[in-house]
Amino acid sequence: MTRSFVVSCLLLSLASSLGWSAPDSKLLVALLPKSKGNAYFISCKAGSERAARDLGVELLFEGPVDSNAAKQNEIVENWITLGVDVIAVAAENREGISTALRKARREGIKVVTFDADAMPDARSFFVNQATPQGIGEALMDEAARLCGGEGEFAIICATLTAGNQREWQREIERRRQERHPGMKLVAVRPCDDLKDRAQSEATALMSAHPKLRLIMAICSPAVPGAAEAVKQAGKKGAVRVIGLGLPNENRRYVKEGVTDTVILWKTEDLGYLTVQAAVALAKGELKAGASTFKAGSLGEFRIEGDNILLGKPFLFNRDNIDQFDF
Amino acid sequence: MNRWIREWSVVGVLALLLAYLAWRAPAFFQLQPLLSLLAREAPSLVVACGVAMVIIVRQIDISVGSQFSVCSVIAGLLAAAGWPLAAVVPVAVLIGGSLGLVNGLLVAWLGLPSIVVTLATLVALRQCLNLVRQGEFVNLPERIQWLGLSQSQGQWLLVGGAVGLVAVLAWGLRHLAAGRWLYAVGSDAEAARLAGIRPRAVTLGTFVLMGALTGIAAMMNVVQSPQVQPLTGSGLELKAIAAAVVGGVAISGGRGTVWGVLAGLLLLACISPAMVHLHIDAYWEKAIQGLIILAAVMVEGLRRRRNHAR
Repeated sequence: MTRSFVVSCLLLSLASSLGWSAPDSKLLVALLPKSKGNAYFISCKAGSERAARDLGVELLFEGPVDSNAAKQNEIVENWITLGVDVIAVAAENREGISTALRKARREGIKVVTFDADAMPDARSFFVNQATPQGIGEALMDEAARLCGGEGEFAIICATLTAGNQREWQREIERRRQERHPGMKLVAVRPCDDLKDRAQSEATALMSAHPKLRLIMAICSPAVPGAAEAVKQAGKKGAVRVIGLGLPNENRRYVKEGVTDTVILWKTEDLGYLTVQAAVALAKGELKAGASTFKAGSLGEFRIEGDNILLGKPFLFNRDNIDQFDF
Repeated sequence: MNRWIREWSVVGVLALLLAYLAWRAPAFFQLQPLLSLLAREAPSLVVACGVAMVIIVRQIDISVGSQFSVCSVIAGLLAAAGWPLAAVVPVAVLIGGSLGLVNGLLVAWLGLPSIVVTLATLVALRQCLNLVRQGEFVNLPERIQWLGLSQSQGQWLLVGGAVGLVAVLAWGLRHLAAGRWLYAVGSDAEAARLAGIRPRAVTLGTFVLMGALTGIAAMMNVVQSPQVQPLTGSGLELKAIAAAVVGGVAISGGRGTVWGVLAGLLLLACISPAMVHLHIDAYWEKAIQGLIILAAVMVEGLRRRRNHAR
């Protein structure tokens, strides 16, 4: 008890030193990323700050430095003591964070999740940045577009057993059968999330499949790995590279024309939508059962169940990649 | 010949695999992809030789993957800060050697079990890197890749360099007194001590050499791509230990050669591309590698039983 009192005093004094004066009328929104130094979440933060400005609310952005699930719990506990109005979390551990979030809800604090969900009963809404269907369709459509609708392609994934990777592959395959039957998947190779291994796998794929037209890398380190292999094999243009990844890791290959398209979502929009939804929830404007949500300057978003959908993934290519830094 | 039967048996299996590939998937033997494969395996070879020596002195080092990452990332950051390669390489070797020294001191001087010590350093170093880099890649300047040579020159140099290093280590283990000490300490530390060898110093030296080799290996990897992923080298310890065991290094210490490690590594490294060329589902890959390791360990077990019965 004494300890939490001391902690809240410390936090309050810290908050006021940061320019947050009196906890009067302004709504206090607390945003908890998986890791606060990560470029991905830093760009989310930029969007959330914009939303906070638009809405005239106070924003706290705090998180572990190293993707630490226990540390996330600790921060939520501190926020409960501090009495924030609404918490938005990207959960490092789905079950692990949920106990603390349920406690926050019992204390009257509203909770949403973004990027990575907690248990459904621990939050009101999940701001879902990309559905497996959206990702699968974007990847397969882009692959078919680059190959002119027919040709051999191969997938490099993280591991053969990871749940999200399998789900994406199912959606890729479904889209291929429905829309792009001329495309032929010749191999799926795992890279254990290692760029170096992805490079070796891509090299082997190209020598084993001389008619290979495209490599689709569905885990982020595999995209630059495959691109380096294509470049070293002197097959730039002959074998295309696309994949799910971060603009910064792929910038050089996109500019050199080795990698055609990097697919992800606009992280700034994710941060913006999250704060908009959190504030609407706290003000009672966003209620369970709603089917759409209007988020300030970004317009309307669809809600499926308790998932607010960010929408179609974004395609980063040679023309637009320089506008993004994460 | 009989003395090296264990090493030759690995070469035999490798030859069978290559012969099968030549029959069913001749595309495997294209020069450029093959050279790339060998160049990509050169760093693993150097690390595997180091691990083999650690096993020969009857210790183990499972922190090599993390050491490799730390050396790679620091070397990458120095290169990105404008340091010339001639300065980066010695620093990487020095860092690797220091990390090895820490392991060595804990094992040799405090007498702690090496599996526990290196498990601790494996986790600690990896977490430090996560903390500092948050997974962010290090971008390298252009001049670093291929040591400023052309791609194929660079690849030949790396492959040649790795094989040259194996040759030097093989010669040293066989003909230098210090090399023989490794086998003596690994076979029977007490007998070695009575013979005037200092087992602790030998163990310490082996760990330092392991670290320095990891530093060299990290540089051999860094120069092959324009970016360093902080996760690089994760899982390398298992690959290196597997190569050593398959190559005939006795896990109980005192026996093994680095030429055997070369054969073991080549065999394991060929499995993955061979599966791609033979259009075999990737699910089988780990199972096949596991079976090869199991076979090696069983042969080792049988050999020991026979020696025991004699």
